[in-house]
Amino acid sequence: MTLRHHLDEATVISFAAGALSPEMSAVAATHVGVCRVCRERLSDAERIGGALLGQQQPTLADEARSARLREAMLKLLDSGPAMEDPPAIGRGPHVLAPTDPDHLPRPLQPYFGRSWRELRWRWVAPGMHMIRAARGSGDTLILLKIAPGKSMPLHSHQGTELTQILQGAYDDALGHFGPGDVADLGDEIEHQPITARGVSCVCVAALDAPLRFPGWLARKLQPMVGL
Amino acid sequence: MSSSETQVRDADYWSCQMEAVSRRRDRDSFLRIYDHYAPRVRLYLKGIGSPEAVAEELAQEALLRLWQRAALYDPARSNLSTWLFRIARNLHIDRVRHEPCWMELENEPEWPDIDGGFSSAESHAEQADLQNRIELLPTIQARLIRMSYFEARSHQEIADQLGIPLGTVKSSLRRAFMRLQLGVRGQV
Repeated sequence: MTLRHHLDEATVISFAAGALSPEMSAVAATHVGVCRVCRERLSDAERIGGALLGQQQPTLADEARSARLREAMLKLLDSGPAMEDPPAIGRGPHVLAPTDPDHLPRPLQPYFGRSWRELRWRWVAPGMHMIRAARGSGDTLILLKIAPGKSMPLHSHQGTELTQILQGAYDDALGHFGPGDVADLGDEIEHQPITARGVSCVCVAALDAPLRFPGWLARKLQPMVGL
Repeated sequence: MSSSETQVRDADYWSCQMEAVSRRRDRDSFLRIYDHYAPRVRLYLKGIGSPEAVAEELAQEALLRLWQRAALYDPARSNLSTWLFRIARNLHIDRVRHEPCWMELENEPEWPDIDGGFSSAESHAEQADLQNRIELLPTIQARLIRMSYFEARSHQEIADQLGIPLGTVKSSLRRAFMRLQLGVRGQV
């Protein structure tokens, strides 16, 4: 897939470092799963992590612990399985046929379930349905379905919004966003997405702070939508 | 000998040790790797929030995996510390933060670079160059990189802690990444 909109490099660093919230990680992983460019950047960011790991300087107290742990490791080498067969490593029972069109992207399944058909969309405004992930660390993770040719209220963000397009498309001041594209928006962005004609736009979004709506109608809508 | 030459020599040294583990199941070589890296992995895990006892347990598990998966090692293509970084981070996110999607990512069949453990082409000279570039980062960029990798701080947490705007945190990290990426990609 050739994508136009990628993760911010700063987001890639945090993703590689394990410094994104679980919700942001779920969206970033969904994007990386379909984007070669961001996969390569992630790989670069992990190399930086490796280099930093090598630069750690253990203290004497750390060294003192080492003798006991080394003994334990020697016992593990004696008792453990000799060598794992590469193809079997880590494959859990959850591995799915990746081609099933009814399956949500894997990183989203823990939050929304496995099946598109079984999603229970909630009406929030004309032409707009939403599902909010139940589990969460504090950030908000939502699936949004917006009817074709619909204009969303103008809004800005107090924090970061990470949105991955799963189906359909929208346009805003930043350009055209189609399936697989990600909008990685900071608090300086004010935008008003308008969905493309023909097919509903479905996206997954992680937010770390409430949205800001400048218009009075949108502000009235905010408590209903709960964002 | 310059520090760069030392680093290339170090990377070669660890690569040879790993190759001995991979080809001959050489226990002495494994223990040399263990003695060097286990304390570093423990420190890293404590930094990103594993309690002491958990950091010990996960570091042991990471090094044991290295022993068990050694057959996958390709000395021409891989770097030991990158592989250990990935495994340690994934174990932390899986066991301490209980996030399911990380290990699944690792198991994804179309992710051979992560699933197999060792990453794509990465010469030792490139890794040494990367080490140098990290040391040469401007102070603020180095600080943000360390807060990200060693403390697992989000952009917002960094902004709050240092009292700088969120946008500045992101643009500094972006610039740091571009400087370091030149090292990673082997460009001048």
